[in-house]
Amino acid sequence: MAVTLNRALDALTGWLVGSIGDDAACGYALAAILQAGMLLNLVAISGLVFIWLERKIAGRIQDRLGPTRTGGRFGWLQTIADGLKLLCKEDLMPGKADWLLFRLAPYIGLAASLSAFLALPFSGMPHPFVAQRLDVAVFFVLAVLGLEVFSVILAGYSSASKWSLFGAMREAAQVVSYEVPLGLCAVTPVMLAGSMDLVTIGDAQQGGFWNWYLLHSPFAFITFGVYFTCATASVNRAPFDLAEAESELVGGFHTEYSGLRWSLFFLAEYGSMMLVSLLAAILFLGGWHGVLPLGLGSGGWLEALLGTGIGGYLGALLGLVLLLTKGLLLVIFMMWARWSLPRLRIDQVMTTCLKYCTPIAAVCFLGATLWQASLPNGLLLRPYNAELLRAQAAGPVATPPADVLIVDTAGGRP
Amino acid sequence: MQTSVEDPRVLEFDVRTDEMLVNMGPQHPSTHGVLRLVLRTDGEVVSEVTPHIGYLHRCAEKIGENLAVRQWIPYTDRMDYLAAMNMNLGWSLAVEKLHGYAPPERGRHLRVIIAELGRIASHLVGMGAYGLDLGSFSPFLYAFREREKILDLFEQACGARLTYSYLTPGGATADLPAGWTTRCLKMLDEFEPILPEYHTLLTSNAIFVKRTCKVGVLTADRAISYGVSGPVLRGSGVDFDLRRDGEPCYTQMYAGYDFQVIVERAGSYPATTGAPPPPPEAVLGDSWHRFYVRMLEVVQSISLVRQAIALYEAEEGLDHGQPFKLGAKLPVGETYLETEAPRGQMGFYLVSLGQPNPWRARARSSSFCNLSVIGEIGRGCLIADIPAIVGSLDIVMGEIDR
Amino acid sequence: MIWHSFFFALFAALACGFALAVVLTSNVVRMAFYLVLSLSATAGLYFLAGADFVGSMQLMIYVGGTLVLLIFGVMLTAQEEFIRISTRPAEVALAAMVGLALLILLSSAAFRVPAWRGDTPAERSLALTPQTVGPIAMALLGLRVDQAPPTADSPPNDRPGYVLIFEIISVHLLVVLVGAAYLARGRIGANSLVRQDPSQPASDLDDLADADPSGSELLEASQTLDSPAETGA
Repeated sequence: MAVTLNRALDALTGWLVGSIGDDAACGYALAAILQAGMLLNLVAISGLVFIWLERKIAGRIQDRLGPTRTGGRFGWLQTIADGLKLLCKEDLMPGKADWLLFRLAPYIGLAASLSAFLALPFSGMPHPFVAQRLDVAVFFVLAVLGLEVFSVILAGYSSASKWSLFGAMREAAQVVSYEVPLGLCAVTPVMLAGSMDLVTIGDAQQGGFWNWYLLHSPFAFITFGVYFTCATASVNRAPFDLAEAESELVGGFHTEYSGLRWSLFFLAEYGSMMLVSLLAAILFLGGWHGVLPLGLGSGGWLEALLGTGIGGYLGALLGLVLLLTKGLLLVIFMMWARWSLPRLRIDQVMTTCLKYCTPIAAVCFLGATLWQASLPNGLLLRPYNAELLRAQAAGPVATPPADVLIVDTAGGRP
Repeated sequence: MQTSVEDPRVLEFDVRTDEMLVNMGPQHPSTHGVLRLVLRTDGEVVSEVTPHIGYLHRCAEKIGENLAVRQWIPYTDRMDYLAAMNMNLGWSLAVEKLHGYAPPERGRHLRVIIAELGRIASHLVGMGAYGLDLGSFSPFLYAFREREKILDLFEQACGARLTYSYLTPGGATADLPAGWTTRCLKMLDEFEPILPEYHTLLTSNAIFVKRTCKVGVLTADRAISYGVSGPVLRGSGVDFDLRRDGEPCYTQMYAGYDFQVIVERAGSYPATTGAPPPPPEAVLGDSWHRFYVRMLEVVQSISLVRQAIALYEAEEGLDHGQPFKLGAKLPVGETYLETEAPRGQMGFYLVSLGQPNPWRARARSSSFCNLSVIGEIGRGCLIADIPAIVGSLDIVMGEIDR
Repeated sequence: MIWHSFFFALFAALACGFALAVVLTSNVVRMAFYLVLSLSATAGLYFLAGADFVGSMQLMIYVGGTLVLLIFGVMLTAQEEFIRISTRPAEVALAAMVGLALLILLSSAAFRVPAWRGDTPAERSLALTPQTVGPIAMALLGLRVDQAPPTADSPPNDRPGYVLIFEIISVHLLVVLVGAAYLARGRIGANSLVRQDPSQPASDLDDLADADPSGSELLEASQTLDSPAETGA
């Protein structure tokens, strides 16, 4: 997207201010601002929607109505009203707090949550909507997501409150340990696709739900379950919300926060929720591809009808809608779990991670590898492989050199 | 950081950890009111729990000495405000014992209906709030939804929803209105099929079982020596219920009723229809058993209310027992009577010098004794277990502080 | 290229500035925090250089792993009297000498890399040949795909790869892990002695020991989990 957008903006700026000088620089700046703005708005608006949705879902689960007044029948504007209220609240800070760290902590969490979206693609080839396409996107997203723990630790420490400190301690222990199984689970799709590039991983699952990595093998299915559990834990959602745990720790790490700073923590939390859900959708649920082969991608009817330009972009946009829908469903699932389940105890959370999630993830990774090695074409349905089809159409394939062959086998699909 | 070996029992390579004093409450979300617990913690492990009470003290007992016995009824409402009917009943029975008075049969059955409905409402709050303590929000609202229906019935009977002042010495302030029993039976018919939902959400939920089993184990000996009562005592396997084992002037209220004391006998509970069996992890006397006893008592109270309604409607005449006159003088003497309130033995002590108002009026609170075990069973558990234990004791601060 | 230069300058300034702040501040927790920012800025430099993998590694291992533990440790151990660290002038002088010596050593080493000294565009482009981590990964498994395939007359162990080193590191880490688990166990044993209470059923204490509520076992485990890259780097 960066390159395409940059090319377009470059032309625009070149046409507008052609004489000012280095128009490439302007183009980059404009493209960067535009993309950052779009991502920021995506997180912020989805945060608004999620908070409203959470209240509405909680209400419905609890046999109530949820918000009904602000903004018409369904309380659409409830979040904005809440936000306005939070804006007007006094920004309190405990007297003994470390003022610098106390004030910075919410921004760090928000920054980590936002910057992980940088490498997250929203549609596949040939028009990948991604701010910065990285070869190691999976790794980058997980790495940046792990930084969110700093905001909680620093908030907990700098608040000069014992309850906050307890929350921070729990959070640090929990997030650091849950990164291990989370990474192990994310490795399975990486292995199957033979790439850490999220665009490649998503595109490798095109052609209907039977090609999703969720249904690749029983092992991949379990891996998805473990991934989602660990993702829930790493974004601090119930039943793993020990860092907040209002019935034990009052408010945990954000006990002493108020007003806008407090709401920034929640924006970061909802951003992370969305991030791990989108990541799950890309890694296991076919990403931007439909449940059935819709032919929106390259070589589909949409491109044949409208041409690669408009048709391709339209297909990518529809893919974006599909991806967001899948992510939204996963977020709703998280909300459902939150309002139904009691909270685990800290030692049980650790046991779940170290004694169950990590070994299960490791065994499933091994199982999926063996499955892929023994049944490269799947059990029932032949997986979609564009390159293979293309190669077959082109004629007999030349035998690659021995080393390359080994690399390919290790990388996944032949 | 220094490594020092102060305690010879701590091994040499141990990193010295500092103990931390944490103040839980009185403004803590899960201490059920204004209870303050001072926790001495080492990391997440609690090495000492000290309850501090008195934040809700309102001198109710002293006020009782300056009021006529019927005037003190509203003050008993505010003791255990979640089971105000049962508080009214306790005081009324104590006064009636001093008078040597027994209400007419219709009034007796009316009291059973009201007292058992109060028990259901109280246990519903205890159940829902316990879910809340463990981080499960929705059961709380489900419980309140059903409690609202009981409160509606109470409102129709006496006009109030929380502090009823309905049962008074002599009987009740008014008879049940026309059609009330039909509505009550309809409510029970709707309520009974919902109970399995609570069991699914809490009793047999895997996380709930993990959080409550083997947490805060109170052995039967210890329970007796601390004087705990009610579901907490029966959860420890002690077969004791004042409705069966109390004084005659209280047990005669339940004469002719068919009910069993909810307690584990030979590894199984009575009246477990619809309830899941105890999980293998649970040990007698832990938080899970205390919760389970309450859930089963709700079923039992439903059956008691049904029996009582049948008996109430079968009674001839309309005499439900007239309240004593406000200025009527008390007989000289003293009396003490304990009743089985939802939270345990609620005792009222009364000394009279022949005035309309008692010379001494005292209350023995069940929650007070139940809370006193927290220092014993809360030691060595994790911080997260403290709300789980306090919730399973199901205390009401208004009753403790009075 | 203007943005490249701009961001290079920005990230370099951030990395150096916060590194200085680490040295100059006297508050232990803030020191750790500035170290986070400095190392994150270094990760930014890696991303700028197109080394996405190394940048992510930096974020995940140093910033997300090691420093979390560092801050965690500092946060829990720093009591009031240890929060502020005052440095004596002699220590400053000594540190300055060591730092200066290290700077000279590193910069002289850096200037010896031919590709980095490249004066002509051709030389510079040589240094910018795109490379992936694939060969390194294969070399860790014992296959040097980056070198010429073996011929009939080459010696049998021509391209051994890094498999032996990889295995040694793994075994080393395993030993560390076992040691950490042993230490954590011993500590719990000592604590449960202190907590010995006849009223608690024995199974309860066992559960506590199993679960290790203090999280020390876990911390040490994650510490060791983080160290492969430390050793590798």
